Amino acid sequence: MASFLIRRLVGILPVILGVSIVIFLLVQLAPGDAATVLLGPQATEAAKAELRQALGLDQPLPFQYLAWLKHMLSGDFGVGIATQIPVTALVGPRFLNTLILTFSSLLLAMAIGYSVGLFAALRAHSLFDRLSMSVALLAGSAPPFWLGLILVLLFAIELRWLPVSGMQDMAGAGGAVDLLRHLVLPTVTTALGPAAIIARIVRSTVLEALGKPHVRVARAKGLGRAALLRRHVVLNALPPVITITGLQLGFLLGGALLTEVVFAWPGLGSLLYDSITARDLPVIQATALVVALSFVLANIAVDMINAILDPRLREA
Amino acid sequence: MRRFTLAFALATTMLTSVAGSAHAAGTLIWGMPAETDTLDPHATGGWSTYQITYQIFEGLVKEDLTKADAVTPALVPGLAKSWDISDDGLTYTFHLRDGVKFHDGTPFDAAAVKFNFDRFWDESSPNFYKKAKAFVIAYTKWIKSVDVVDPMTVKVTLTAPNYQWIRQGLQSYGQPLMISPASVKKYGNDGVALHPIGTGPFKFVERDQGVKTVIERNDDYWGAKAKLDRVIFRPLQDPATRVNALENNEVQMVTTPPWDEIDRLVGEGFVLSTNKNVPYINYIALNFKNPALQDIRIRKAINMAIDREGIAKEIKHNTSRAEYGMLSPGTDAYDPNFKSYGYDPEGAKKLLADAGAKDLKLVFELPQYGTGELVETWIQRDLKKVGIDVELRKYEWVTYMGKWAGGMSADVAMNDIGWGMSTPAWIDVVTRCDSAPPGGINSGFSCNKEVDKLLGEAIVTRDPAAAKTLYQKANRLLMDDAGYVPIDDDLQPILLSSKVKGFVNPPEDWYDLSTVSVE
Repeated sequence: MASFLIRRLVGILPVILGVSIVIFLLVQLAPGDAATVLLGPQATEAAKAELRQALGLDQPLPFQYLAWLKHMLSGDFGVGIATQIPVTALVGPRFLNTLILTFSSLLLAMAIGYSVGLFAALRAHSLFDRLSMSVALLAGSAPPFWLGLILVLLFAIELRWLPVSGMQDMAGAGGAVDLLRHLVLPTVTTALGPAAIIARIVRSTVLEALGKPHVRVARAKGLGRAALLRRHVVLNALPPVITITGLQLGFLLGGALLTEVVFAWPGLGSLLYDSITARDLPVIQATALVVALSFVLANIAVDMINAILDPRLREA
Repeated sequence: MRRFTLAFALATTMLTSVAGSAHAAGTLIWGMPAETDTLDPHATGGWSTYQITYQIFEGLVKEDLTKADAVTPALVPGLAKSWDISDDGLTYTFHLRDGVKFHDGTPFDAAAVKFNFDRFWDESSPNFYKKAKAFVIAYTKWIKSVDVVDPMTVKVTLTAPNYQWIRQGLQSYGQPLMISPASVKKYGNDGVALHPIGTGPFKFVERDQGVKTVIERNDDYWGAKAKLDRVIFRPLQDPATRVNALENNEVQMVTTPPWDEIDRLVGEGFVLSTNKNVPYINYIALNFKNPALQDIRIRKAINMAIDREGIAKEIKHNTSRAEYGMLSPGTDAYDPNFKSYGYDPEGAKKLLADAGAKDLKLVFELPQYGTGELVETWIQRDLKKVGIDVELRKYEWVTYMGKWAGGMSADVAMNDIGWGMSTPAWIDVVTRCDSAPPGGINSGFSCNKEVDKLLGEAIVTRDPAAAKTLYQKANRLLMDDAGYVPIDDDLQPILLSSKVKGFVNPPEDWYDLSTVSVE
């Protein structure tokens, strides 16, 4: 088990290195540069050259990359070009905010997905099954920015129950209740799509497990319904369900980025947007690395859980 | 299932019971369309950044932004109580205001002024900041020397006369505002961004990048003290979110509201503030390197084919005004009666026929703001009506800026942008022969020696009335060449909650918030 974990963790290194090189090159390939954006329309060529030099953007590309890598390895991600704020101070809090939204959405998606999926499988072809799977199909296809706006119009503008934007009441005292109020609509918006996918997967895997010969044998032997479900159905259905849930975590990280724009949630999404429009390379790099790392770690966590559940997978 | 429903209802009740918590007295929350860049006023080029730094910092001379009806904001004493200009126009002597202190308690005096000029201009000074130089260069390139005459007097000598120089130092790029020298020494040149300390009516409190920037009233301010306790600037990129936040009282002021939402919100009791003298203009530059546009009849036809009044009315819901010249209404040289080419599609068709233009296909480069590029699509349709096929090539903003500033390639016929300054010397920057790229931003390479001559005369003309005549003449010549297609100028629509009192929408892109209060 330990060697399995070590193998997976060592595999992260080339992924991170690859991501950093690709991002670096992509930003370089995009036309326009930070100096032009920062200086605005009146900038002279001389002024742009001065600024590029001051920002270290006049160095050859490999030098720029190696300098960045060297600093990064010593924990120094540099300073944001547009804001002059240290990158770690920019990315750290934003990442935390995205995590809050992602995990609350994942919890909600799992709660809805597992319960609806299981219930639909056990009552296959009933009215509930048909209705819930149709709703899941609709919710799964609704784009988050559209869904978010509809929820805002209903719960914030019409009913005045919940706030529209941000993580806190700017003029209020803040606190956990304030955060929870701000969290409700973005969480629902982000969670519904993944919840629908999880529900459909749970339904189909449980249905499949229910039809397996060993389940029929167990049922024929007179095993109680609860024990049958726990020991023979759910346990066998879990690995694919967990894999899908893990993949949804990656989707949520990405989906949360869209939701962040609609709700002005100060996460990585809006930071990434701002830094791309400013060609702010140090911030883009750090943000992309954090997202890539989260995705890889989430997948390793999923593999670990599956390996614990199913010893056969540890050999792989 | 019922238990779940009950729990959900309970949770919702708990969460909503604290909804609409009381807002602190005298706090204005402003929803802005974009996050601002560095709060170091010497090292920024963004007008949206100036909307914040203008409240914290001051320069020697200020524009009076408390008069909404002024054509151009009057120049009023700032940290200099008065200033003299020598007869040859080369020496500016600033007499500084006594008893002013920076927010950190540092006294303001001639040494502080010298320190700031050293920072953004004097490369030999140990306080020189390279990043600042690049931004303030349009202002500092005229400077020959800066001398402290006595503790409260500073003399700036220019290399050549320029009677627009003070006004050029009041634009949003590279703001030559006064920063506390003690704070620069304490936090370093790079540290000003996180510790912006000036003399203005508001003091910096905190910045949570991407979330908010907070300033509070400076109770020791030398002038009329601000009414608000605090101002919170919030970047809300999505226009729908900005409007929703306004409706839900999460912000009390939004800039750049979506055009098609304005009427509805005014109907709901929100207050629309506009200004009729904004110092910028939306215009198309025609490319003199494009083979099809060598013929002046085609350039004129393009000007005549576009229904600008329709754009202002139908797309922008009367929050903009059609323009026919390159001088914006925010400059004192603006002539409201000058109409270069009115909407005349039949006349345009005739000109095109005379020029023998058949199956004309033109490429139009434009930036993508996320507003659907309605104006450019309208223009494309108008030109189609007179027989010109226009291909719209859209680029993301940064990419576009690079292309625009680099000048159009020969296959491109036109591009567009909106900007300007409160000095008519802005047309120097965009139209002079020597402003052509590389090195300048005359994107369509228009060049008229007679225009250049007039602009050269205007900038050294001390009498404002005489300078105005010269600028208007240059503007007429420019439009005679038909190298530009002025489209419209936005009336700077700003939506406010009815609780906001005393807000003045001046002929500038930044506002004096010291007169504002929130009930």
